[in-house]
Formats: sequence, C-alpha cells, structure tokens
Amino acid sequence: MRRIWKIYRLLAAQNLKRLMEYRADFLTGAVSFLIDQAVGIAFIFIIFTQIPQLAGFTFEQVLFIYGFSQIPKGLDHLLSDNLWCVGYFIVRKGDFDKYLIRPINPLFHVIAETFQIDAMGELIVGIGLLIYASPNAGLHISVWTVLLSIIAVPFAALIYTSLKIMTAALAFWIKSSGFIIQMVYGMNEFAKYPTTIYSLPVRILVTYIIPFAFTGYYLSLYLLTGSDPWFSIGGVILVSCVLFAISLFVWKKGISAYESAGA
Amino acid sequence: MNKMMRRYVPFMKAGIQTLITYRLNFLGFVIGGLIYCFVMFYLWRSVFESNGGGMFLGFSMTDMVIFLFLSNTTGQLIFSSVGEQIGEEIRDGSITMRLLKPVNTDLSYLFAELGEVLMKVIVLLIPMVLGLEIYRFCVTGTLVFNPVNFLWYLLSAALAYLISFRVNLCFGFIAFYVKNLWGIGILKNSVIGFLSGSLIPLAFMPEGLRVCLEYLPFASMNYTPVMLYMGKYAAWEILFRIGLQIVWALLLFGLSKLIWFGAIKKLCIQGG
Amino acid sequence: MIYAEHLRKEFKKTVKSPGLKGSFKALFRPKKEIVVAAEDISFHVPEGEILGFIGPNGAGKSTVIKMLTGILTPTSGFCRINGKIPQNDRKKYVREIGAVFGQRTQLWWDLPLQETYLVLKEIYEVDDDRFQKRMAFLNEVLELESFIKSPVRTLSLGQRMRADIAASMLHSPKVLFLDEPTIGLDVVVKDNIRQAIMKINKEEKTTVILTTHDISDIELLCDRIVMIDKGKNVYDGSLRELRENFGQSRELIFETDPSATLTTDQFRNGLNLKGNDLVIEREKNTFKVRFNSAKIPVGKMLSYTLSLTKVKDISVKDADIEEIIRNLYRQGEFMDE
Repeated sequence: MRRIWKIYRLLAAQNLKRLMEYRADFLTGAVSFLIDQAVGIAFIFIIFTQIPQLAGFTFEQVLFIYGFSQIPKGLDHLLSDNLWCVGYFIVRKGDFDKYLIRPINPLFHVIAETFQIDAMGELIVGIGLLIYASPNAGLHISVWTVLLSIIAVPFAALIYTSLKIMTAALAFWIKSSGFIIQMVYGMNEFAKYPTTIYSLPVRILVTYIIPFAFTGYYLSLYLLTGSDPWFSIGGVILVSCVLFAISLFVWKKGISAYESAGA
Repeated sequence: MNKMMRRYVPFMKAGIQTLITYRLNFLGFVIGGLIYCFVMFYLWRSVFESNGGGMFLGFSMTDMVIFLFLSNTTGQLIFSSVGEQIGEEIRDGSITMRLLKPVNTDLSYLFAELGEVLMKVIVLLIPMVLGLEIYRFCVTGTLVFNPVNFLWYLLSAALAYLISFRVNLCFGFIAFYVKNLWGIGILKNSVIGFLSGSLIPLAFMPEGLRVCLEYLPFASMNYTPVMLYMGKYAAWEILFRIGLQIVWALLLFGLSKLIWFGAIKKLCIQGG
Repeated sequence: MIYAEHLRKEFKKTVKSPGLKGSFKALFRPKKEIVVAAEDISFHVPEGEILGFIGPNGAGKSTVIKMLTGILTPTSGFCRINGKIPQNDRKKYVREIGAVFGQRTQLWWDLPLQETYLVLKEIYEVDDDRFQKRMAFLNEVLELESFIKSPVRTLSLGQRMRADIAASMLHSPKVLFLDEPTIGLDVVVKDNIRQAIMKINKEEKTTVILTTHDISDIELLCDRIVMIDKGKNVYDGSLRELRENFGQSRELIFETDPSATLTTDQFRNGLNLKGNDLVIEREKNTFKVRFNSAKIPVGKMLSYTLSLTKVKDISVKDADIEEIIRNLYRQGEFMDE
C-alpha cells in the first residue's frame, strides 16, 4: 500500500512538472472549464428571475443540487482523466504496450499518470455553490447527514470512474472508444438538476442503467430532507461497488484482447 | 469555374471520406449534443410548468425546443476543425507540403470541410428539421413550417459557416507563436459557445450585453440563422442581420489573409 | 530459459476498398478478414545467448516479441520464460525482463531523462544503493552523462535509443528484448550500441533477443539466429551452420592485365558448371567470380583460373551473410508459391 502511494505521488508529480512546462495551456484549460460552469449557473439565475420554484425546489436548493453534483464529477476528473486518452488513442496507437511491460497494475498506472488540474474548475464551483446555497436551502444538518454525505462522495466519484473504465476498455476490442465514453459520460448532464423533472424512462435510465442520479440528486436530497439514507447513501455505495467490479472485469478481459499496433 | 471545381473536388471527396471513417466519433459528438439538448428540454419543460405554461421572456415552449435543438444542430454544421488541423500542420512542419501543392491553401482546407458539411446537412439538418416540425405539428395541431424562413436559414447558416471557418483559421495561426493549441482550443470553444448565443438565447441576457453580443461576429455564427428560422426578425431586420454577417465574413477573410501573409514570411525566414 | 511453442496470433481486420465508394460500402457492409500474423512459431533460447530474430517486413517478428513480452495474448500455443507464462503471471514476469521497441520510447517525453530513471526506480523497487551502482554501470556502458539532464524530446535518435536501453536495464532483467534497436541510426552510433549490448550480455549473462534488419547487427552480436517468414519458422541455427548449409558460395577476386579476355561461358564450359553455380562480374581489370564450392573445390577453382590467365592479385572470400539471408528470404517466397 505504501509503495502504491509512493508511486502514485511520483507519477503525479511528473505530470505536474510537465504541466509547468505548458503553463499557459493549463491555465487556459482551467479558465474554459470555469466559463462552462458559469454558463450553467447563469441559466439557473435566468430561470429564477421568472419563476419562484422549479419542480418544488427553491433557487438555493437547485443551486445546492447543481453544486453537489459537480464535486464527485470534479474528483473523478482530477484523478482519472487519462482514461479518455486510453479510449481515444493510447490503445489505437499501440502505446498501451508500455503499461503492460511494467510490474504495476496497468489500470493504476494509467490513472496515476495524470493529475488533471483543470478539474479545479468543477471542484471550486461545486464547493462555492454549496457554501453559497447552504444557509438558505433548508438543509437537515446533523452529524449523521453530513458524515454520511461526505463518505458518499468518493463512492459517487467511483461511479464516474467505473463508467469511464468500462467504456475506455471497449477500445481494446474496437480500437477507439472515445465516442462511447463521450456518450455515456455526457449523461452526467442529467445529474445537475433534480431528477424529478425528467420523464419516467429517463429517470429509470439515470437511476438504474447509467446511474448518474446517484452522484448528485439523491445525495443532495438526503441532505435536504434527511430521509431515506438507505436508498441514497446505501444506493450510491452499492451501485458504485457493483459498477466498479463490472468495470474491472471488462478491463481485464480487454487487456487479453489487446492487439497492440503495427506488425 | 468548372476547371477550378475539378481541382478541388478531390479535397471534398477526401472530406466526406474522413467523416465516414470517423463516423463513430462524429456520432458520439452528435449524441453528446443531443443529450445536452434533452436535459435542457426537460429543464425548460419544468420551468414552463412551474410558470403555469404560456411565455417565458418572449419564448413559448415550442420556441424553446426549436431553439435548443436547432442551435445545437447549427453548431455542428458550422463546426470547423481547420484551426486544430492547421495548428498540427504548422507544428510538425507538414504545412510546407501543402504550400507546395498548386492549389490555394485556404480553399483546399475549405473544400475538404465542405464535404463534411454537405454530409452533415443530409444526415443531421434535414432529419432534425423534419423532427422539429413534426413535434411542432403535434403540439400546435397546425403545420407551422415556413419554407421562406428555412431558405433564409440556409443562406444565413452558409454565411455562419464561412465566418466560423475564418475565425478558426485565424485561431490555427496562433500555432506559429504558441507550442500547444490544446488549452486555447478548449477556451475558444467555450467562449464561442457562450458568445454565439447557442447555449443561452441572447434574448435572455441583460439589454446592454445582448446588444453588444449581437454585433460581435459570434452571434452571426449561430444565433442569427436560428432566429431567422424561427421567424423572430421583421423584414428589414432580416436584411440587416444578413448584411452584418456578410460584413463579418469579409472582415475576417481580410484578417486571415493578413495573418497568413505575415506567417508565410516568418515561415520563409525560419525555413519551416 | 525461453521456450516458444507453436505460437499463433490472429488479428481481425476490416478491409476497405479504396475511394469514396469503398468508404460507403464499408459503412453498410464492413468486410472482416482474419489476418494471421504468426502462424506457428517455435524456438528455444538458452540462458546467456544473444539470439537474432530476423525475417522480412511483415513476417511477424514484432507480433512474436509482443507475445513473449506479455503484451499480446497468443491465439494458441504458449511461451514460457524463466518458468513463467507471461500472460498469466504478468506482474511478476515483467520484473525479470526489459524491452526496447525501437520505434517508440518508454521515456517521459517532456521531462529531463534523469526523472524517467527515478520513476522507474520506484516502479521496479530498486533500492538506493543498487540504483547508484546500476546507474554507474549503465553510464559507463552507454555514456549517458552528457545528456542525462536534458528533456527527452531534445535528445537525438542515438541518445534516445541509448537512454531507452538504459531504462530497460535499470532493474537488471534476466532477459532483454530489443526490437530494432539500431533502426535509423548512423554507423558510429550503431557500433556504440552494439558494444553496449555485448558488454551487458557478457557481464551480466543477460539473455538477449534482438530483431533487426541490419545484417551487421547479426554478424557482430548474435550467437544464433531464428529466421521467420510469413509467420512460420524458416531457419533456426548458428551463423556458422548457416554459412555451411547455405553459404557454399565463395567469391574469387583477381586482377589481370588489361588485354585478358575471360568470359563466363569460358569458365562454365571449362569447369562443367551451369547457371547460378558460377557467375562472373568484371570491373575494368578486376574480376569477381562467384561460385558454388560444393560443386567445385576452392583449390581446383584457383588452379584453373591461374592456368587461364596471368594474375596479379588474387583472393578468395567467404560468402556474405547478407547474401545468404537474401537467398533464404527468396527461397521462402519460392516455396510458398
């Protein structure tokens, strides 16, 4: 375990050093993520200039849900961004070879190799919104609700990561799976707003099939109402663990199907 | 004209082929966009319900649906990767190969993309317009489709593409000065997304900002054609908006040429 | 040490006919084709040997190397190296091997070279003491000192290759796989790298498997060669054996005075030889006679030549290994047809 942590720090540090080489690039990246976030929030502002409540939620509550959803997303973005590259080109170009001839777990190696500072955009906005919205959102604050919610956040991030592992691993069979990651990952847009605004099929989709609803709405709902911890907190833990197990299985199968590139 | 076409048709064919080869990535792009549209659709549906139906800042629910999906589709149509492409060619030096070919450099890029745009009109725009009109018919009970507006849209979207092409071309030339275009590329896309009014209708923005943005070239890249389709402009304003687009297309054409000649000089001095 | 038994690897490939029409066709009815990159490859390498693994382009060399290193899983057959099957016991196995793929690098592109070694040190769990010793050794053999602080992207191809070999040797592997280690390098650098490989092999008893297109690599480095073509073994044996079995062709070179008239037919008729068994090339006064020493002993050839004409300078050369291999490749093709 200590060795793993040491290697992780080392690889992440290499990546940060590299980023320093391309400082301007990384700054512009972070700024653009902030702009995207600003657009999302501006939307909510505009909506609430005209209506008092959205699907029964107040302005602060909607902001709270939105903000909460960004934290697991940002966490996953910060830590496992390299999976996109696996799907888009690492496998296709045969660059995955290098992970297979090292005596550490290839998945860990891939993930440890990048530390995506751009994700600060999501994390800062998420935490900022929580701080801004909390006082007036009517939260059920107790040791339990807060503690359980904090525990749930890494599991929620694991939902993102597992979905990315699974879809990225498809590249081992079809060479380039970037578009599938894009499609599945894109569903996280649904997590930003109360799930109750969607029609039933969409609700089923984002709860049970591509369970992004667990990464934001259900967790926020627990903090807002204090009820149903088994469904929201238990759900996120169960769902993330099951997804993670499946994703590891797919990944492992994928590696033995890997075809490298060239002759 | 005929002779010129013959010289550039291969580029166009190559463009179509590229799109087919990377069709899955393209599909991912399209579906990603559609997911965004659907999330927004549900959000707006909920907003209109909370608002007791009727209008929201001058938009009805059907207006909103048309706006969402059509500006997304328009965004796909006017999307130009010429910047990234030329940036890459500058970086690895293969731009010199392109300079060696006996064709106009801009036009060779343009035609390669026109092939893609043509495909997108067929597989994306036409089904989308059809779908939207069926939706509108189901909701309102009457056929609202206005062919004249659609023609205005096509003209305006063509101009929007030319503007987008030139903006991206100028963006690509940054590669002469900066090592890596990746970060700036993402920034460019989010800035254009916001300023072009494809994410939030300009009509929803505060008066001062709205007027400002309407005159910038970005509104001409997406908002103008969509508004024309929706028939939001009166007769004189249609001409004014199209005129504005033409002005921007010409200005940006001049600007890109200016940078290009400067850059070529630099290229000659550095020796590629 | 290394056993490869009936290795076979198939790839699926979508084939597309050229042009716009082809693209559309592939869109609606993609044609899948199975490509056999390695059909049936077997060989065995004892410890401490340098094996030249050769074959024409597309013969399946890289595919086999990738199966041996555990990157690819064989469709059938298996390989066992150090008593381990690479695909089953990957993490333990790769600790004992090093690999260099000439066309790509395992170094961190944007960082000073030194950083790569520090990361690899942790990944392979090399302790500080050993690391120091190891770097000193690699420094001596591969002369990294002058560029170890430069970012990898600024290194020349030769420097990069040396750096890559050092990276693959850091953890003292028992087996070293080198896929085209001299590709694209100039003569001096090639020589430098060959010296290094020889030294590593001698001092550490490292078993080396080497693919190359450069015949001098093989002549200078390899104890033995395994040649494959179209995914099958074509030859397996030492260089000496190769020369003996296929290399009976010798070259007689001599100089005469300008007036001499010698023709191929003259020799052929005089010695009763046909076709490829005897070929003459002439350049001004120098004659090159290539002949099959199995058909006519060298001594007889010499005396016959001397009886025909006045000779100023004469020498007999062994056949060029490059030519033997070229002949073997050709034979392989011929057999296939």
